[in-house]
Amino acid sequence: MPNTQRYVKTGGIGFAVGAFFLWNYPNLGIGAALLGGLVIAALCLLYSAPLPDMIKAGLIAGMFGAVMTIVYGTDKPGVAIIAGMLSGLGAGLLVFQRSPQANPKKAAILGAEAGAIAGAWTALALLLTAFVIAPAAGVDAGEFAEHLSETVIFADALGLGSDILILLFAFAFSTLSAAILGAAACAARSLPLRPNIPLLAVIALPVLLIPLIDRAGNLLLLDALIPIYIFILLALGLNIVVGYAGLLDLGYAAFFAIGAYTTAMLSSPHLGINLSFWLVIWVAAAVAAIAGLTLGAPTLPLRGDYLAIVTLGFGEIVPILFRSLGGGPPSGTLTLRFFGMPIGIEQVDLTGGNKGINPISPPHLPFIGDFEPSNKIPWYYLLIVIMGLAIFFINRLRDSRQGRAWMAMREDELAADAMGINVVRTKLLAFSMGAMFSGFGGAFYGAFIGAIFPSSFDFSVSIILLCMVILGGLGNMTGVIIGGLLIQGADKMFIPKGAELFRDIANERASATGSSTVGVSALQDLTQQRLLLFGIVLVVMMLVRPEGLLPNERRKAELHPDDDTINSNSVAAEAESDPSLAA
Amino acid sequence: MAASQTPSSPQAAPLVPREPFLTKRRAFSIVGLIIFLGFFAIPIYQTILLEMWDDPGQLTQQIVIGLTKGTYIAVIALGYTLVYGILELINFAHGDLFMIGAFLSLIFISLFGLDPKTSSGITIFFSLIGILGLVMLCTALMNAGIERFAYRPLRKAPRLAPLISAIGMSFVLQNLGIFLGDGLIWDKIADGLGSDAIGRVADAMGSQSVAPKNIPDLLPNGQVFFIPNSLKYTYKDLLVAVVSLGLLAGLYSFVRFTKLGKAIRATAQDRDAARLMGINADRTISVTFLIGGALGGAAGMIVGLYNGTAVFTMGFTAGLLSFTAAVLGGIGNILGSALGGLLIGLILALSDQYIGTRWSNAVIFAILVLILLFRPTGLLGQEGGQKA
Repeated sequence: MPNTQRYVKTGGIGFAVGAFFLWNYPNLGIGAALLGGLVIAALCLLYSAPLPDMIKAGLIAGMFGAVMTIVYGTDKPGVAIIAGMLSGLGAGLLVFQRSPQANPKKAAILGAEAGAIAGAWTALALLLTAFVIAPAAGVDAGEFAEHLSETVIFADALGLGSDILILLFAFAFSTLSAAILGAAACAARSLPLRPNIPLLAVIALPVLLIPLIDRAGNLLLLDALIPIYIFILLALGLNIVVGYAGLLDLGYAAFFAIGAYTTAMLSSPHLGINLSFWLVIWVAAAVAAIAGLTLGAPTLPLRGDYLAIVTLGFGEIVPILFRSLGGGPPSGTLTLRFFGMPIGIEQVDLTGGNKGINPISPPHLPFIGDFEPSNKIPWYYLLIVIMGLAIFFINRLRDSRQGRAWMAMREDELAADAMGINVVRTKLLAFSMGAMFSGFGGAFYGAFIGAIFPSSFDFSVSIILLCMVILGGLGNMTGVIIGGLLIQGADKMFIPKGAELFRDIANERASATGSSTVGVSALQDLTQQRLLLFGIVLVVMMLVRPEGLLPNERRKAELHPDDDTINSNSVAAEAESDPSLAA
Repeated sequence: MAASQTPSSPQAAPLVPREPFLTKRRAFSIVGLIIFLGFFAIPIYQTILLEMWDDPGQLTQQIVIGLTKGTYIAVIALGYTLVYGILELINFAHGDLFMIGAFLSLIFISLFGLDPKTSSGITIFFSLIGILGLVMLCTALMNAGIERFAYRPLRKAPRLAPLISAIGMSFVLQNLGIFLGDGLIWDKIADGLGSDAIGRVADAMGSQSVAPKNIPDLLPNGQVFFIPNSLKYTYKDLLVAVVSLGLLAGLYSFVRFTKLGKAIRATAQDRDAARLMGINADRTISVTFLIGGALGGAAGMIVGLYNGTAVFTMGFTAGLLSFTAAVLGGIGNILGSALGGLLIGLILALSDQYIGTRWSNAVIFAILVLILLFRPTGLLGQEGGQKA
């Protein structure tokens, strides 16, 4: 019975995680650790069990919301509402992915059910936070009630006096909004329109609302969300190079750095050039595109892993250049000798060396004035506009003659050449287009952070971007966005906040038992397990589902030439045999 | 690797005529290179050459340092070359395995309680030999395990898949380095087992898991020869060079003269044909990974003792250096990799001295890019250009 084996496998994974918790966080107490392990094991079993799609989709999407609620909930219980909305939206889209409906009405019902499950789960996580986790982390009831009334929006307006009422309101609000969004998303997906404007509207709604809820509840989520969006923008650019054109680029962060440094040099007091951001962002994109061409031109004959190594080298050299072209003695002269003649070269501090360039001028708009670092809302909407345009253009580009040429070249360069595709032009355009979008990202990043350092552009950035593209599905934009949300969400929100929460719980426990708090070892500190998590994601994805979470059709076919190569793995086999996923 | 050592059979005339050397693209690159050299490089060259000329003692010293470094770079490079020769896979995890080797040697040194002040020379000598063996065994088994679980299932997948899996394993190993370098974890284990020896490991690691670790200076520091103001060559340098060259020679003769070595060469040349000849390809690949891992671990120990520090990111830089060395010499070719390692060590030392340490990585990469562009087969590589 293949199912038994699957249960044993997934249950085993769950119990292993539980055992890890038990060994690792003895401060939590055996009960809590066992409970955690059991919950995870139960989730694994549920995932592998033959449940209706609606429940599965709701659980998977709700997982995201529940983790977000638990991680943020102690300080900011109001996050549960945003988490509920997002997980409801995700559940609606996911359930349609698994069982497509032709009838919008049926789709709406299905989506509402899935969304309600996701939302209810998120809300349950809020209750868990209120009654179990917050006390464990040393937040007493009064403090938690204060957080609750501060961060749950509309609580004041409705005049909800007691904490339980606010909690119930948050529960209901989260579940209801999740159900509505799930229904709307699923119904919109079922409409046979192209482009599907209603679907875009449903997705845009929570994305546009987040800053307002954030402001009203004082959640400060935008600090993490904006860098996440920037990285998604970069991943979309990388997707052109790796996903569409099939050129493995391990030095993509170099273009990001070039965009950011161009902005920094042209729009800061550092060199005395202080151009407007609206001009500089185009210059940065152009400079990055030219850099893409310069990298692309000499690497034309290289393929596969050799190309990967050269791009990796490029990605290493660029930050070294930025680090070394400045930061030296203020007005030193470097004397070189040319056939005996001394030549003095005046050293200009171009890039600020290791200290980087600080400050960078923010954008300026007529009615808003300078974008303030403290007020993230204009930044957020500006980034949404940039990303919307980028997604639109990349979408059009993919369907254009050029985009089809990229994919043809990815599948078989020789055949594409024989079919009359100019391979040189196609490759160069892929490099420069990909670099251009990271130029935009870099320009925004520079202006948003207000200062840049060479250390923000090292190899790990390139690799994280590649992880995002691979996890989501090479060549599929929706997949890349989802992969980006997952990885960047983990990197910038869940891992640091979760580590904080674990530390609080451990400290609380230690002070309760009277033992002195010792340092946190690497096994207990989530932030020190980041590399491990990414590494495992990369390896497991390659073994189980090399085409990514949401695969591009053609790539999927390419990666699964026959089922024999991966039949050892039940999950991949399930994905293959599941007709809804293939549709 | 194999192609370079077996006498090549007379080849049939190629169906496609050879590309002329001076294609349009190449001509452009060459003109560009000349312009670049004229404007930027020649003044810099001249400055550097004159500086070298002014102080020959310093130059000799740098060459000696470079060659010493080159020997261990060559040992790491061999790990890349072996794996690339047999699987055509850039084993990104190899550099990190080297780092694990350095950490393991520190762990074993602390476990055995070796101390340059208290332990006698003979104890240190025999313990170090034993530790070298242990480290090599551990890293060899790890490498073979990585191959078994992360690469073998992807044998038939497109080439991107094992490469990305290798990058993932490299991250996993780096994080393992963080765990191994965390004194608090070792403390916990020591408390649990009540063991003093493990307590010493905890002390050696300290409480900061990501901080660089100090490895006790166990190698003799006496001088083999010494010329005042110019040259200093210690027993430490000599020992590093001798052990590294010994490993290189051992590996070369293993691959060249033993039956298993022959199997490795055959599998590298044509896996299916080797299988038809009765060679167990999977086992041969495992053996290759065992050997590569052992070399990586040995290099880690040598470098750790030589430099006196280990840090969890050291694998990345060292890996890139030695990969460059392998490509420079001709990846897949054992002698080529050894030569490449020596050259890279030399370039590294000279660039550290005359251009500036901060530029060294850029110089190495520039060399890597230039080799890949103009001679992808490397210095000693043969016709394997289709891989590029």
